[in-house]
Amino acid sequence: MLTTAFLATAAALVVLAIAVLYRAVKGPTMQDRVIAVNVLGTNTVVILALLAVALDSESFLDIALVYALLNFLMAIAISKFTVKRGDVI
Amino acid sequence: MLVPVGESVTLRQTVGYAVGVAEETDASAIHFVVPVAWHSAGDVEPAVRREVETLLDRVQVWAREDASGTTPAVETAIIGEEQYMFSPDDYAGVLADYADAHGVERIVVDPEYSPGGNVPLLRAMEVSLVERGYTVEEAPVETPVRRSRLTRPGGAVQFGLLFAVSFLFYQLLGGFAIVTGDTFDLFYELVTGTIAAGIVAGSLHRVTMSERPRLRRLGVQLVRLSLYVPYLLYEIVKSNILITFIILHPRLPIEPRLTRVRVAVWGGSPLTTLANSITLTPGTLTVRADGQYLYVHALFPSAREGLFAGTLERAVRFVYYGRAAAAVATPEERGDTELLQRPEEDADAGASVRSGEGSSEETRREGERSEEARTEDERSEEARTRDDRSDDDRTPPGDGGGA
Amino acid sequence: MSELELGLRTGAILVLLAGGVFFTFVSAVGVIRLPDVYARAHTASQTDTLGAGLVVGAVVLTYGFETEVIKAVLLLVFIFITNPTAAHAAARAAYVEGIEPWTEGEERR
Repeated sequence: MLTTAFLATAAALVVLAIAVLYRAVKGPTMQDRVIAVNVLGTNTVVILALLAVALDSESFLDIALVYALLNFLMAIAISKFTVKRGDVI
Repeated sequence: MLVPVGESVTLRQTVGYAVGVAEETDASAIHFVVPVAWHSAGDVEPAVRREVETLLDRVQVWAREDASGTTPAVETAIIGEEQYMFSPDDYAGVLADYADAHGVERIVVDPEYSPGGNVPLLRAMEVSLVERGYTVEEAPVETPVRRSRLTRPGGAVQFGLLFAVSFLFYQLLGGFAIVTGDTFDLFYELVTGTIAAGIVAGSLHRVTMSERPRLRRLGVQLVRLSLYVPYLLYEIVKSNILITFIILHPRLPIEPRLTRVRVAVWGGSPLTTLANSITLTPGTLTVRADGQYLYVHALFPSAREGLFAGTLERAVRFVYYGRAAAAVATPEERGDTELLQRPEEDADAGASVRSGEGSSEETRREGERSEEARTEDERSEEARTRDDRSDDDRTPPGDGGGA
Repeated sequence: MSELELGLRTGAILVLLAGGVFFTFVSAVGVIRLPDVYARAHTASQTDTLGAGLVVGAVVLTYGFETEVIKAVLLLVFIFITNPTAAHAAARAAYVEGIEPWTEGEERR
């Protein structure tokens, strides 16, 4: 029963992630896209954590941790290097 | 003659030079002063204060050693305790006040002196002092070795602390083999953990911590932090419900404004904690931190009021400085809040950015440079006039914008 | 574990999951609907963090006292620290580029 709930949640989050993709495509600014992709990435991390429980494979949690790190780095790096003066953080 | 001093490799030489100059020019007195960045409202540990006092004692002894015959009077002082110093201008202002109070016009600076700890402020501070009309000269000292700014003298405490944290983190990721009870696993995890943590601590303990950690104080702060986290979670959930209502409302009743708050927390990690907490609480988002000024984007009036009432700020002060410091007045009462309409500091610079597309980048840079050069007084003056101007079409801060 | 305890835990997990999906939904609506970068950064950093936090909280509860729970908690802490920081970085980049915050009455961007 719980497994179904986890999978259903994951499915709902996938749908929401696809919805957020609209903002990532439309923009209009680079920062809008960064924010959208960051939300998408957070959703992905959560989905990975859900799958770890639902499919009973703990290694998904490690992947989720690494993905969360990469997601963070992505946001920071793009924010930093799309700005000309290059002094964000 | 005025000599700002602090821990530096060339302090001894600077003292010698200053005494020499004072004797040549028949100066009546040499003032050695330490501008301190800690605020007296924070619970400054006696140990910190003692360190500064020892430094001044040492300087005094050196000055006596160097003086020959007609000794100019040597005076020492700790200054700036009542002020929040952050920018080079703040330091220059504090020094200028002291200089004026004692009729001093000549300032000798130790080139290796670093008022802001690991933040390079010295050159900007000198420029600001020259602009105020003082004679500033750097003591001609020989620097033994040029230390790169990233590393600082390390110590066993830094190494130990970083090692412990890395080791614990490694074991956390390894899933605590200690719990599973397999002897080989346990041995393996402990050995690899020790090696990994050793490498991390050995290579980075000079970089990670900007000052010597005080373990007891760190412990107290962690305890207070554990009180703060539930409070923060409560705030997050509470205001998230509000923001949910607003986002799902058909008319989207938002009223976003960019605001600027001068916060009363001092130092890197308290500011980071506060800025991140502000961002985490729905309705407010820290856009930029500039010294003690936080540029906060507030989505609706009640979020803005909450920010100006400074509840989070007080909580962060409690975490880092204890209960006594929580009693500082709210940003609103201090008059440290203002509304900004646009990102540009300077309304004129903003206008020219809009009109001239081609040279926009250049104009903006120029605007910012002049902003940095401006003195504190002028800045607050400008803030006041801006507030006046904005009164007719905007709700002034703290005047019941929640209608 | 008793029947009641199991039931309570299952209930709590379901509530957390529902709450998580709801807040993630709100954040998605916010990111699509709000008028400018700064406002969108609000939901990206806050509502989304709460949504993710609730769902990961459900995961933590499911694991109970197994060692995997440490990683889940770590993930939770990590999301809570990095999400606002990332949103702040994006907002600051927008500010440095000179994008002006939207005010009511303007057209949506």
